[in-house]
Amino acid sequence: MDFEKLNELLKRYWECQTNLEEEEQLRQYFGKGNIPEELKTTAALFRYFEQEKHKTVHAEFEKPVIQNKKTANRTRKGVSHTLITYSLRIAAGVAVLLAAIFLVRQELRKPDAMAISGELVDTYDNPKEAFEETKRALEMISKGFGRAEQQAKKINAFNDAQEKIQSQLKKDSEL
Amino acid sequence: MDLEAFQNRVLPVKNKLFRFALRMLGSEDEAKDIVQEVFIRVWNGREQLAEIQNVEAWCMRITKNLSLDKLRSFQRKGTYPMAEGLEVHQADVTPDVRIELGESMQNVSQLIAALPEKQRQVIHLRDVEGYTYNEICEILELDMNQVKVNLFRARNTVREKLMKINAYGL
Repeated sequence: MDFEKLNELLKRYWECQTNLEEEEQLRQYFGKGNIPEELKTTAALFRYFEQEKHKTVHAEFEKPVIQNKKTANRTRKGVSHTLITYSLRIAAGVAVLLAAIFLVRQELRKPDAMAISGELVDTYDNPKEAFEETKRALEMISKGFGRAEQQAKKINAFNDAQEKIQSQLKKDSEL
Repeated sequence: MDLEAFQNRVLPVKNKLFRFALRMLGSEDEAKDIVQEVFIRVWNGREQLAEIQNVEAWCMRITKNLSLDKLRSFQRKGTYPMAEGLEVHQADVTPDVRIELGESMQNVSQLIAALPEKQRQVIHLRDVEGYTYNEICEILELDMNQVKVNLFRARNTVREKLMKINAYGL
């Protein structure tokens, strides 16, 4: 490529007027040796582009991807297989849940069992009887309260006496 | 699409996807993750693949979107992947030229990395991968005008800065 044509091509390149073919010509030109001094930097640019083109991932790169797809294909064929896997998982979950409920219920029932066998048996079968018994118990309590109140009234005598004394003392001091 | 079609139509694009993700993210590991993710997305969406005319551009677009998501998540978390150094493989030039070239190419690499997101994408797709303007429009979901403006700015920014470095050693 003569120098004039090269300069013309480069000018159009900087103005983004070149097509892919012309850009390839430039790349090829700068890929060779014997570049004029003033075009060394431009050569570096084109060589950089060319070098970047050769950056690759290693050849084995897609192997795991393909392997993955192959196994994916296989499992897609056996839809029933995945169905069984999922239902087994769900069944296992349900089994654990049921076992937990059973154990908790047993734990909660234990005090009842103790009550049946132990001394806490004090219930009446007849509701009327039970009501009467409760009423009697409450009456006993209220009687007790009544008595206590009468006794407590006696304490008021002390209060009255104290008040009388204080008022007497007041009168004395006023006089 | 079956596995065979996937192997024939999608897998050969892997290096382009990888380079594009690498351009956007600057980390090889992250770029590889993105390409794997693209494969998964394409595989999951393989039913609609029959309607897609340009599978390669479609894959590139998914790569772009996933890389942008990743970039955003980096920005949110405030973490950035380590940018890897430039490796120069130029077997056909003498060592001293290689060093000199290596340096200027490193400059180019840094200048391109410093470009705004869109300009970086456009210059990569055009000058490294050699896509047509129409394909770039499809991949980046931009109109022709925006693509050309971004390419013009990208090329000229790199050119000016390279000339500055050469003239003043900056």
